[in-house]
Amino acid sequence: MDVSELAILIPVLPIVAMPLILLLGRLFNGNEKWKGLWKEGGTIAVAVLAIVFVLSMWLIVGHVAAFTEGSGDDFVSDVGDWVTYSLFTENGDMKVQDFGFGLQLDHISVMLLFVASFLCLLIGIFSLGYMNTDPVNENRNHRFYAEFILFCAGMFGMVLADSFLWLFIFWEIMGLCSYLLIGFYYERPSAAYAAKKAFLTTRVGDVFLFVGLLIMHAVFGSWDFAVVFDASNIGAADAGLIKAMLLLMFIGAVGKSAQFPLHVWLPDAMEGPTPVSALIHAATMVNAGLYLVARMYPFFSAPAVAGEFTDVALLIAMIGGITACMAAAIAFVQDDIKKVLAYSTMSQLAYIFTGLGAALWFVNKGYTELAAFAFGASLFHLFNHAMAKGMLFMASGSVIHEMHHAHHELAHHGDDHDDHDDHGEDHFDCQDMTNMGGLASKMPITAIAMAAGSASIIGIPLIGGFWSKEGIVGSTWKAVLQDGGGLFIIPALLVLITAGMTGFYMSRMWFMTFAGKPKTPVAAGVHEQTPFIPIPLVALTGMTLAAILFAGLGFAGWIGDNANHLSLGHLPSHLMHEIMHAFLAVGSDGHSDPYLFMITWITIGLSMLVGPFYAMALHGGSLAKGEKAHWSISWLVSLSGKIRRKYNFDNSAWSDSGISNALKRRLYFDEWYDNLMLKLVVPFALAAAWFDKRIIDGAIKGIESGSQEASKGIRQLTTGSARDYIMMAALGTLALFLLIWGLI
Amino acid sequence: MSETRSRKAVFEKEFTVVATLVVLAGAFLLAFPMFFEDAVGDIDWITIPMIAFPILGSLILLALASQQPRGMKERMAFPVKAASLGFSLFILVISTALFFGWIGSIDWTNIKLNEYRIDHEYTWINSLGISWHVGLDGLSFPMLWLTTLIIPITMISTWDEKSSWYHHPLLLMMEGALIGVFVALDLFMFYVFWELTLIPMFFLILKWGGKDRRYAAQKFFIYTFTASLVLLLAIVTLYFLQNPSQYLIDKGVLTGRTFSMVEMTSSAQMAANSGNTWLGSSMQNALFLMMVLAFIVKLPAVPFHTWLPDAHVQAPTAGSMVLAGVMLKMGAYGLFRLPMTLFPHALAEYQDWLMIIGMISLVYGAMVCLGQINLKRMVAYSSVSHMGIVLLGIASMQPLGFAGAIFMMFAHGIISPMLFAVCGSFKHHYHTLEIGSLRGVAKTSPYMGVYMMFAWMASLGLPLLAGFVAEVAVLVAFWMEYGWLVLLPALTLVITAAYYLWSMQRTIFEGDGEVVLPDTMGDDSPRDISPWENVGNILMALLIVLFGVLPWIIWGMMSSYADAHFYQHMGGLLRLVAGGA
Repeated sequence: MDVSELAILIPVLPIVAMPLILLLGRLFNGNEKWKGLWKEGGTIAVAVLAIVFVLSMWLIVGHVAAFTEGSGDDFVSDVGDWVTYSLFTENGDMKVQDFGFGLQLDHISVMLLFVASFLCLLIGIFSLGYMNTDPVNENRNHRFYAEFILFCAGMFGMVLADSFLWLFIFWEIMGLCSYLLIGFYYERPSAAYAAKKAFLTTRVGDVFLFVGLLIMHAVFGSWDFAVVFDASNIGAADAGLIKAMLLLMFIGAVGKSAQFPLHVWLPDAMEGPTPVSALIHAATMVNAGLYLVARMYPFFSAPAVAGEFTDVALLIAMIGGITACMAAAIAFVQDDIKKVLAYSTMSQLAYIFTGLGAALWFVNKGYTELAAFAFGASLFHLFNHAMAKGMLFMASGSVIHEMHHAHHELAHHGDDHDDHDDHGEDHFDCQDMTNMGGLASKMPITAIAMAAGSASIIGIPLIGGFWSKEGIVGSTWKAVLQDGGGLFIIPALLVLITAGMTGFYMSRMWFMTFAGKPKTPVAAGVHEQTPFIPIPLVALTGMTLAAILFAGLGFAGWIGDNANHLSLGHLPSHLMHEIMHAFLAVGSDGHSDPYLFMITWITIGLSMLVGPFYAMALHGGSLAKGEKAHWSISWLVSLSGKIRRKYNFDNSAWSDSGISNALKRRLYFDEWYDNLMLKLVVPFALAAAWFDKRIIDGAIKGIESGSQEASKGIRQLTTGSARDYIMMAALGTLALFLLIWGLI
Repeated sequence: MSETRSRKAVFEKEFTVVATLVVLAGAFLLAFPMFFEDAVGDIDWITIPMIAFPILGSLILLALASQQPRGMKERMAFPVKAASLGFSLFILVISTALFFGWIGSIDWTNIKLNEYRIDHEYTWINSLGISWHVGLDGLSFPMLWLTTLIIPITMISTWDEKSSWYHHPLLLMMEGALIGVFVALDLFMFYVFWELTLIPMFFLILKWGGKDRRYAAQKFFIYTFTASLVLLLAIVTLYFLQNPSQYLIDKGVLTGRTFSMVEMTSSAQMAANSGNTWLGSSMQNALFLMMVLAFIVKLPAVPFHTWLPDAHVQAPTAGSMVLAGVMLKMGAYGLFRLPMTLFPHALAEYQDWLMIIGMISLVYGAMVCLGQINLKRMVAYSSVSHMGIVLLGIASMQPLGFAGAIFMMFAHGIISPMLFAVCGSFKHHYHTLEIGSLRGVAKTSPYMGVYMMFAWMASLGLPLLAGFVAEVAVLVAFWMEYGWLVLLPALTLVITAAYYLWSMQRTIFEGDGEVVLPDTMGDDSPRDISPWENVGNILMALLIVLFGVLPWIIWGMMSSYADAHFYQHMGGLLRLVAGGA
């Protein structure tokens, strides 16, 4: 059987599963078997995702194999027409067009399809453990799995879509699921507020994206990738309009990927269950914006528009740089473990935006080789970040879940003796890192996974994100040197500083959670015991550590220029080359570039030494007596203890300062937006409602009462007296005669 | 024992009545083609089964029920309701069969302008040139189908309405009148049915409405009736502007003139295609403006919309569902059928004014929505806002824009009844419509919460639900004509999302710990919706998904109707005026 016939099943199967789970959940709610074996629909969801994963792998392996054999072509499959319509073109001709649905798989979507299907499956498995063992979720997990699987369908559909409109359609479906899942605990006012905020904020971006798509249709007469990416079509079009289109689409990407200034929804989105945060708000949906920007590459690379869009590319890099630095700064002061990760996500996505901005700038300037490198590095970072951040969120979920469990046990235990104690514990926050500490020995798998994930995000050499982050930082600094790239110094500096900041806040999170002694009795009672949760953690730790292999295989290069790059045979030599490139800045000519060498080591120094050092000095600490962590992390914990003892300093001046307060209040963005809503939009809407009621309807009511008054007045004339009537008749006749005479 | 027996007796009696009616109706339907088959073998599926049948049927049912002595009328409720539903389902079967070509084997996507299917003309008032003329094309068929879909669904959703022996036949009568409007090809007949639709709606509001139902019913009636007087004036003017034809005088028409839309359209067509302005441009403009005024009151467009929120808030659920779902479409349908077809030059001239009115309706309507605290009022204003999109599609003067506008009519026709059905259940179970007076509907009435979420999402234009296709089509066409002005409707999408999400946050969500219930509930405990409401909502949700995922089912005929307006070889009228632009 041909794979292309089955490819359509990848988005369709989950869509079909969604109403099925909902219906079964409705029918069997509360049934013991439904809760046990069927996991309230979780089993169905995971089974579907497993099938989808196998199908995806089949497609991906086929695609990659075709490329390595050199006979490869992008996989395109037309499914059918959706609507046919007619339009007048500018010269007055009538054009009949059709808009169809189809699937497309090329090097970008192959990578993203793997990320999506792999993570959806793993997080589905994680949810079996996380959701079904929490009594809060009992009897409503089917709703979770139904929304979850619909989201997966949206993600797969978006990745496989062969036109921008279908991309947008699935993009919106994901937005809906994000809204529903953030508001999963609908009874909490904070969740309801966060859900609304997420939907509205992304909607603002989406509307601009939508207008961009309208322009795209006006320019190219189509949304199909095959048409709009055609260099001759791009050459024939009005460059000004294309620029407007790219800017509008970028606003859409900014909204979806939570970049400055539309970033406010992402931290609040952590109100959703942790698997949702892991899947939607870290690993998949927020990548949609990046995917969209990556998809814009052909618009920049067309020879006819060379040099036209450099300012757009620079803007993308700027927004990336600003967000990276801002989010990292806010992450400094967050105590909620999920909030730290949320800001970290923002910051890392911003890195990728910066890298993509550099790539688009290079290609528009004509530096094809540099562009391919930056592009590959950016998408490789997307890959690494998705794996690491998905894992980090699941690990944080594991911590929160066990904290909950321990808290519950403790509260229950205390209940027998002391009611007051129970009441006091009601406000216990299981996500607050100041309540944790010393978990390294109690939750070994989680601690190791989180260490690996953090290392990948920080960019510790040889682990995960290191390979890609170096490429992004290097690319932006290279852009500075090129002709006309002087302004790139701003994003370049910002991402460089952010590297150090990342080192600090990620280490801070890890040490606050896992090192030192337990800060509360709850943390002291934590055990790693929930089933299913370790599976994805182990798998993703492996994936993160395997990034070195991907780097050695030439993954980034393969994505970047779509040529025959992936090959197992050259692994050792490629790996050597990558290492030389990463550490010694050895270019393809075999010489080391001193400028890049310097940048590389500054980055490594900041992220690996400076950041973690301060984090250890402030938040490190040895474990309590008798506790022993796994060998792979015990050295880290004891190192942090030593550094803390030796170099600890009082940072209360900083933590009480205005800057720290501003950061804690997220730089007041939320206040500003709320004020904008409350002080401008709402009064305006109320004024409109008033105007409608009093003025427009008032006029109608005026006519009504006026005519009533008039009829009352006329009624006065019917006096019933014959004398009056004769008088009126006489007057009428007279008037009639006058009229006739006048006319004659 | 005796009680059971008497109950059984009552049931048997009810059953007999229903069975007899259904059997009679079926036999009648099966037999009638034999009487009305004309030479070509083309059966008139419209006159008897779709117009006479529901109107007469409803009268018979009303008569039957009112024969019962006082206090016993409720006993007739079930048979009357069942028979009403049965009648409307019959009609649905016929219209669906027509759509799929099971009867008549009609290709809906290949109809020229001023060509009609199931085109039947009977002499009515010959001396004045009035005939009973019915026919369907790519514009009227979707509206007919919409009517036949929405009426039975409305009956199901409001199954438990009080005095339903009276309520459901009114809906059936409504169906006959609405179908009459959509199939009429004679101006006189069109006007008669146009006004006839007011009567059942007037009584629906008056009898089952809210506190101010008297005021609302009168306002609704007088407002729209005044507007249609302008339409009547335009129709009569149009009638007398014709030159008396000897042919008609010979046929016994005293005035020698006709009310036939087909004749008028072909005159307009001939004039336009030979480069002339039919009736002269100033007369065309005057008639165009009169008709547009009459139709945008019904649409409704700002500033002639204020009857709508009042009528909706006071109307019962069924009234609102039919009013928003089908009656508003009469205005848009009229725009397409008369002024836009007869007066293409005036359309081209007033294009920008239509755009401005549409834009104001859309943007201002959405702003007003945001300022409402009454759920039903908000939904009513959202109708104003969405009907603005229809005007924008018309103003774009693009085939795609026309098709998008027609699709919007259809999509809004299946979405807005669901909005009002949800509002109705809300009012029914919580005795209030104030947003924010209760929290946590998802907890107390989960089904209602789900339907509310679904309908709200459909209305705010979520992809793969029916409204999205229309919005994309209209806005693509709009950009081609007006360029950057498209930012206004696009930003309105954000406002739309804002008022819908805001109202959901304050009703479905929240309610942690203690669920907040409105004071109006008194000691009642909150309930979920009834099985009948459930069925109605599920049907509407299925339709919304169906036409959102597979829009081509109905898009094809709309698109080809729109093309026919523009294509020379399909008899287009707008080729010359719009094509040159």
